[in-house]
Amino acid sequence: MSKKKIFSNNKNLKPLLNKTTKPFLIYVLTILIISIPVYFIVIDTIWKGELDEHNKTIVEKTAYEFNHLKLSDADLRKSIALWKLIQPETNIEEIPFDNLKKDVYFTIQKQKPFAAEPEIERYRAMKKVVYLNSKPYLFTIETNIEESEETIAAITATTIFFFIMIVLGLLFLNRRLSLTVWKPFRNTLENLKSFNLNTQQTIEFEKTDIKEFEELHQSLNKLIEHNISAFKTQKEFTENASHELQTPLAILKNKVDLLLQNEDLTEKQYQIAEKMNLALARSFRINKNLLLLTKIDNSQFDNSEVIDFENLVKQSLRLLEEHFLQKDILVKKTISQTITLNGNSSLAEVLINNLLINAIRNTPPNGLISVKLTDSTFEVSNSGVEKLDSDLLFKRFSRLSKENNGSGLGLAIIKEICNFQNWTIDYKFENNNHIFFVKF
Amino acid sequence: MKILIIEDETELAKSIAEYLAEENYLCEFASTFKDAMNKIEMFQYDCIILDIMLPDGNGLTILEELKKHNKQEGVIIVSAKNALDDKISGLQLGADDYLTKPFHLSELMARIYSIIRRKQFGNSNIVKQNELEIDLLAKTVTINNERIALTKKEFDLLIYFIGNKNKVISKSTLAEHLSGDFADMLDNHDFVYAHVKNLKKKLYDAGCDHCLKTVYGTGYKWIS
Repeated sequence: MSKKKIFSNNKNLKPLLNKTTKPFLIYVLTILIISIPVYFIVIDTIWKGELDEHNKTIVEKTAYEFNHLKLSDADLRKSIALWKLIQPETNIEEIPFDNLKKDVYFTIQKQKPFAAEPEIERYRAMKKVVYLNSKPYLFTIETNIEESEETIAAITATTIFFFIMIVLGLLFLNRRLSLTVWKPFRNTLENLKSFNLNTQQTIEFEKTDIKEFEELHQSLNKLIEHNISAFKTQKEFTENASHELQTPLAILKNKVDLLLQNEDLTEKQYQIAEKMNLALARSFRINKNLLLLTKIDNSQFDNSEVIDFENLVKQSLRLLEEHFLQKDILVKKTISQTITLNGNSSLAEVLINNLLINAIRNTPPNGLISVKLTDSTFEVSNSGVEKLDSDLLFKRFSRLSKENNGSGLGLAIIKEICNFQNWTIDYKFENNNHIFFVKF
Repeated sequence: MKILIIEDETELAKSIAEYLAEENYLCEFASTFKDAMNKIEMFQYDCIILDIMLPDGNGLTILEELKKHNKQEGVIIVSAKNALDDKISGLQLGADDYLTKPFHLSELMARIYSIIRRKQFGNSNIVKQNELEIDLLAKTVTINNERIALTKKEFDLLIYFIGNKNKVISKSTLAEHLSGDFADMLDNHDFVYAHVKNLKKKLYDAGCDHCLKTVYGTGYKWIS
């Protein structure tokens, strides 16, 4: 995938921590909302229980105190009347017989009797039968209890407060964590981005005490090592295969030379032998080019020479002059600047030759080739008919013209040389001209 | 002429010997480093063809040994590697020429011819054949004592033919000789025909009409 594609996707990407935070917050919010009624029910139940106990104690204590006074029935009645006046929330009534099987608890709502403004209050009430002077009395007691709305409001307020605390805390922690916990991960990522298969160097990952990252590092190391070894094997294979082919091809070539000396050779056989010569020459070129590519890949060239580019261009043009003449090709030279570059002279020579020969091969007879050298570019253009597929152009063995019997590696080598020298090669088609230009 | 072929690939050595045999060259073989060292110590050769990649040693060591003992043999290095380094160190150590494998036998023979001529005739290196006289040092050609003007390429071709007397040389072989690395990248070898035609015409006009023959339509042969 190209770099451009990766970057354009970045807009839709979110950091991992944001991804985990959102569902976490939604979950917390849900739980907290559910907790509001649950808290209310729990608190209310406890409260009611406590009040019921409290009411019961008062009732029992009051009954005990009355009995303890050992009042006469008349005094008792007076005392009860007085009690009811002082304690309006209680009521003691004489009943003919105990019709309550057990104590009754309930909640009522009524207006506060003594408040200035009318206000509905909630009360927890209890009815119990007590025996005063051995007669049954129905004792009713009411105790003020907090209204449900007030309780719910208080719980909700507390819950919101805690939710805000959780959100703030989480954001703060996330920021801290992303700086510390994710740091080794970020380092790993940076390391991976700078990894280049061509250099054949494994990555040294920073030690970490986090299990997952350590596992990641180990897996990455394994993957990288495997990649490097596969890449190496592939390169070695190409190199070895090319080397091993040299000898049998050399033997073939010499045997054809010997065959030509045979006195019984007919002209037809001679022509066959000559065709073999041509095919052999092509095999050698492919072999040689593959070896050259491997050598460039392996950086086996000295990159610190001073290249006299202008001279190399002139020399190549001179060597190829008769081939221009052969096809009646007009060559237009524009060499405006004397430039010296750093790099490898032999490779620069190969680059120039390949570009020029490519132009000769693909220019129709009586065509035009123009060669332009400035201090920042080297350009070779030749007349042509239609645009070539620039994606395939520099790929190995992707032949674009039909009658081409080259090695299929010429332009791939140019590309590799440019990569090696940190130059760029590009192709464009303008005004019926194929233009190849190298930028230094 | 005695030639020592130091080459571990026997088929290659045999081909070279077979090609050279018809022209008075006597070839001996050495397929290992040890074998080669023994032969060099014991015998004298006119030319040594040295493959520098031997199974049991580096051919360049043999070259050093030759120079140490002040041996006068001409040495042509042949190597599958076209590494520039080998070429330079080989020539610095005193090799007379360097050929990258694969090569045409005619190319090797032309080089052997030049080296032996140089070693044996030194300052007056003149090749004579009937009415034709070639001064290899001054690079001049006379026919019936008359100078004929040849271009650099034509002279080069003439020497190539002289070095490969009575051998059939094909057009593609000549193309490789003339253009080196470029030849197989070019679709068209007609430039060879143009050069040979010009050379032939110049020779013919000066009265040497029986030497250079066209055979099988596109091949050439120098008759001596």
